[in-house]
Amino acid sequence: MQSNAALEYDYTVAKLFTYTAILFGLIGMLIGTLIASQMAFPELNYLFGEYGTFSRLRPLHTNVVIFGFTVSGVFATFYYLGQRVLKVSMAESKFLMFIGKLQFVLYVILALGMVVSLLMGYSTSKEYAQMEWPLDLLTVVVWVLWGISIFGLIGIRREKSLYISLWYYIACFLGVAMLYLFNNMEVPTYLASGGLGSIMHSVSMYSGTNDALVQWWWGHNAVAFVFTVPIVAMIYYFLPKESGQAIYSYKLSLLSFWGLMFVYLWAGSHHLLYSTVPDWMQTMGSVFSVVLILPSWGSAINMLLTMKGEWNQLTENPLIKFMVLASTFYMLSTLEGPIQAIKSVNAIAHFTDWIPGHVHDGVLGWVAFMIMSGLFHMAPRMYKREIYSKKLMEAQFWIQTTAVVLYFTSMWIAGITQGMMWRAVDEYGNLMYSFIDTVAVLHPYYAIRALAGVLYVTGFVMFAYNMIKTMSSSRELTEEPQFRSPMA
Amino acid sequence: MFHWLEKNPFFFAVGVFIVIAFAGLIEILPNFAEASRPIAGLKPYTVLELAGKNVYKKDTCIACHSQLIRPFKSETDRYGQVSLSGEYAYDRPFLWGSKRTGPDLHRVGNYRTTDWHENHMWDPKSVVPQSIMPAYKHMFTNIADIETAYAEAVTVKNIFATPYGDEIKGTKEAWEAYKPKVLEEAKLIAADMKNQDVKDAVAKGEIPEIVAIIAYLNRLK
Amino acid sequence: MNSLMIKGLIFAAVLIGATFAVVKSMHIDLSDPINMITLIGAVAIAVLTVGVSIKYINQMKTDKATGELADESWDGIGEYKNELPSGWAFSFLGTMIWAMWYWIAGYPVNAFSQIGQYNEEVLAYNAKFEEIHKNADAATLQEMGESIFLVQCAPCHGETGDGLSGKAQDFSSRESKEQVLAIIKNGSDQLKYPMGAMPAGMAQGADAEEIAAYVAGGMKGEQPASFGVCAGCHGADGKGNGGTAPNIAEYDQTLIEHVLENGRKGAIGTMPSFKGRLTPVQKKALATYLSSLKS
Ligand code: HEC
Ligand code: HEC
Ligand code: HEC
Ligand code: HEM
Ligand code: HEM
Ligand SMILES: [Ca+2]
Ligand SMILES: [Ca+2]
Ligand SMILES: [Cu+2]
Repeated sequence: MQSNAALEYDYTVAKLFTYTAILFGLIGMLIGTLIASQMAFPELNYLFGEYGTFSRLRPLHTNVVIFGFTVSGVFATFYYLGQRVLKVSMAESKFLMFIGKLQFVLYVILALGMVVSLLMGYSTSKEYAQMEWPLDLLTVVVWVLWGISIFGLIGIRREKSLYISLWYYIACFLGVAMLYLFNNMEVPTYLASGGLGSIMHSVSMYSGTNDALVQWWWGHNAVAFVFTVPIVAMIYYFLPKESGQAIYSYKLSLLSFWGLMFVYLWAGSHHLLYSTVPDWMQTMGSVFSVVLILPSWGSAINMLLTMKGEWNQLTENPLIKFMVLASTFYMLSTLEGPIQAIKSVNAIAHFTDWIPGHVHDGVLGWVAFMIMSGLFHMAPRMYKREIYSKKLMEAQFWIQTTAVVLYFTSMWIAGITQGMMWRAVDEYGNLMYSFIDTVAVLHPYYAIRALAGVLYVTGFVMFAYNMIKTMSSSRELTEEPQFRSPMA
Repeated sequence: MFHWLEKNPFFFAVGVFIVIAFAGLIEILPNFAEASRPIAGLKPYTVLELAGKNVYKKDTCIACHSQLIRPFKSETDRYGQVSLSGEYAYDRPFLWGSKRTGPDLHRVGNYRTTDWHENHMWDPKSVVPQSIMPAYKHMFTNIADIETAYAEAVTVKNIFATPYGDEIKGTKEAWEAYKPKVLEEAKLIAADMKNQDVKDAVAKGEIPEIVAIIAYLNRLK
Repeated sequence: MNSLMIKGLIFAAVLIGATFAVVKSMHIDLSDPINMITLIGAVAIAVLTVGVSIKYINQMKTDKATGELADESWDGIGEYKNELPSGWAFSFLGTMIWAMWYWIAGYPVNAFSQIGQYNEEVLAYNAKFEEIHKNADAATLQEMGESIFLVQCAPCHGETGDGLSGKAQDFSSRESKEQVLAIIKNGSDQLKYPMGAMPAGMAQGADAEEIAAYVAGGMKGEQPASFGVCAGCHGADGKGNGGTAPNIAEYDQTLIEHVLENGRKGAIGTMPSFKGRLTPVQKKALATYLSSLKS
């Protein structure tokens, strides 16, 4: 079928979110590398006084990479490809254009507020929901504006049936909206005490075990609806588009999607194994985690099969390399996760570095790879210039791949060792290791992980440089490339 | 069959919503009434302890420390009795954590003491030479926000019926009248400490963060 | 098998091998079921991910894209109407059925309880170590004591028991002069010896100094006359009159037990009570070990 020759898409908002994705990616990963280094070399805790300790910076790292980098990437790719698969231009609706820009402005204010307030120590200490209540409210506004954009664009679409990527963006929007609201129900103490104390402070609506349940119902599904669902949306568009190949199987797309929707939410209690939540709930979390392998692998396999017969593209186009490896890392983390969710394995894995290991083969190898390849693919179309350097991209690919492998292998070994040392008893039945023994033994692995961080950030700087050059000084294109992105 | 849904965004979205909301209802609601009940004899946090808990949150100790002792012999030998649901009834938010870069702290009050914490928070390496925990020297000078902790006590008393006494009320006068009580508690802790600046501050009626956080850590039993 | 698959499996094998070697070097007991299941899980992750992903990646080399295209196309992206890969489809169906079975029958019938599991673990532990603990000889106690000490006491007393430059009791000697002086001045009522409390002000001024120096010095050399007042309770040899008052000459089992039971707040700081946290054998072992530390 004929594609978009007649339509001029408007990428203003997509470009804006591209800038923030690059900026927050860089900041977030620099902080990640700093905290990784602090675990290997604790003296680095004292670079910025009270604001430089591991514990102030760690939530900053997670929030900046999630709500800054990843979410920007999600918005940028949506504002880019949403128009294209719906065959409408943002320029056709002044209203949607305004909403998009307003969303961006409020988003930037929110992101700044988040960084400043976390550095100052305003934190609810609920993982991935640290922001205090005024920022929560702003988050809701930004999210609702995005919803208006999604459904607004859909409302004026020319292409009747929704492309797979849009299924996933819609799910991302709904899932996050529902879970975020429930998990952040909190009472501002200033308002409830007749004006005493700090205006920023709040207490959670739920206590103890209930709070834990709601928190991990969100926490796990933040992973689902931020690190998985919209990233699947990206690969379903960018891989076939870049390669010119048709999706291998509609049926597989369909079953994977509805399977994922149905199963994901049940698995949340695998974060609470051997805790004080009821046994049956824990068991359910474990069982459905194992089921979850299939709908997750379904999408990855669909992508790999889409590339059937295209070995030469894999070897020649670094963008395809990024995306094929991203699918593979997605498979790795969605098998590793379910295995860590088995109760006996979780007895070892929980609380150890094996979990951050699992996290980062997902976020570095899958999330960040996909966001970077998406933005790379978009650049020649948005800026009408070819990608500045293929060589640089190729080098970036190998450096970052090495980094991910170093990260997850070192944390894998560290975590398993530590978990087993905590349990070990000597021949007389006494604990074999003091706690600090189990910390000291990890030093080499922490050092390797810090090195991995340096490599990954180096790759990200190469990405940023390549992007900026593409935007500003690369050779101009006269015609929009249909599939493969041109690069010098 | 599904193609129909993909052409009807409204029903598509409703479908997705139902499918994802379903699991939440079944998993979360049944437990709600049960798990918020305190075990017999559990006391709410004192205002000073709450202030300490807020320091714990402010400096994100949860990044490295859990507060959940799992039912394994190796954990009960190391940390003490298995954690029970009812022990957390006054924890808003819960602070179980998900990473043990440092040890569990759910019962640290049983086996560490004020003077040890003082040394340790000032410079962890002075007591555990291989420690990778940061030093928290700023807690010895930063003044804890007791008023906010008091506001928190008022809030949970009014809204969640947490059993605080009648003297905790949401008025400026009640707060002024309550302040000396918090200071009394702080003095007991400062008496076991060695840092002269901290002692002086408490004598002056100011409570450094370190005093509050030690009160909180000692309470974890 | 082609070269890509072989490389992939070598990577998996190296990772597993390294994990195994590191764990072994920490003397981990791999016959423990939890440890074993974890390692099997790790092997499964590495092998399955590499195996399956490379299986499909290889098809990029060997296969051709085929199938019937659907009518639609989005921004130039087409869609084949291919059937589900059968391995995937059967696995999905299989795990779904298994999940439903587990939920409806498997779990309820099995009636797993994690507290029940914990109780069983403790019983098995007791059965396993009862014999060793009952017949522990001095050498065993000494070794046990050391490992308990490193876990439970070293964070305060230091790994060598030196008290970390005055931050806790230094076990290379008995009480220091400052500690004795403080106790003479203030008395003490914490340890719950049969004798009860020690009154404050049992000696003053130069007498107190002299006694303190003598006690801190390990009660060696000539006993000062003023020590008589102490001897009434602690015995002329300072050994505590058969356990009615603390032994102030050296660490003994009675003292350790009283300290561990009650804790002690003194001139240095506060020692927490370990009431209920240590078994009788463990206390005995600690006593044996501490007695061995004096220089
Ligand atoms: C970078 C990680 C890290 C951070 C952040 C951290 N700790 Fe620790 N913590 C450790 C490690 C490692 C240990 C074990 C070694 C030691 O005792 O210093 C420890 C030990 C402790 C202990 C002793 C527990 C025991 O059983 O020995 C306490 C109490 C403690 N930390 C409190 C805190 C508090 C309060 C904060 C926040 C203000 C905090 N920690 C932040 C890593 C950390
Ligand atoms: C009336 C009996 C009595 C007399 C006299 C007495 N003590 Fe004691 N002493 C005790 C008792 C009982 C304790 C244990 C106190 C407790 O429970 O804390 C004790 C504790 C001590 C301790 C602390 C031991 C420990 O490990 O905690 C020291 C040191 C000590 N006495 C030294 C002396 C000296 C020196 C004198 C003489 C000046 C003296 N005592 C006189 C009964 C006495
Ligand atoms: C939280 C820190 C801490 C821990 C843990 C700790 N101690 Fe102590 N301990 C102290 C301090 C402080 C003193 C000194 C008290 C004083 O006299 O001021 C002390 C004193 C002692 C004394 C001398 C008491 C006396 O009456 O003479 C013994 C014996 C002792 N500890 C044994 C142990 C053993 C055994 C363990 C481990 C099972 C242990 N301690 C764990 C802090 C600790
Ligand atoms: C089938 C899919 C998956 C399952 C069943 C799964 C399972 C798990 C389990 C069991 C844990 C450890 C909980 C603990 O013991 O602390 C975990 C943690 C985590 N996983 Fe996954 N995982 C999956 C996929 C992913 C993916 C694709 C990503 C990211 C891209 C991801 C990101 C995370 C994160 C961020 C955590 C850490 C949560 C925390 O802070 O404790 N997971 N996952
Ligand atoms: C340069 C690259 C990065 C490095 C060196 C790095 C390092 C770290 C470190 C050291 C931690 C703390 C682990 C611990 O407490 O034990 C962490 C946590 C985390 N990081 Fe990263 N990170 C990087 C990039 C990213 C990116 C790009 C993302 C997301 C897109 C991300 C998401 C997370 C998450 C979700 C956690 C919390 C995991 C948990 O709680 O279990 N990181 N990271
Ligand atoms: Ca919040
Ligand atoms: Ca975590
Ligand atoms: Cu999860």
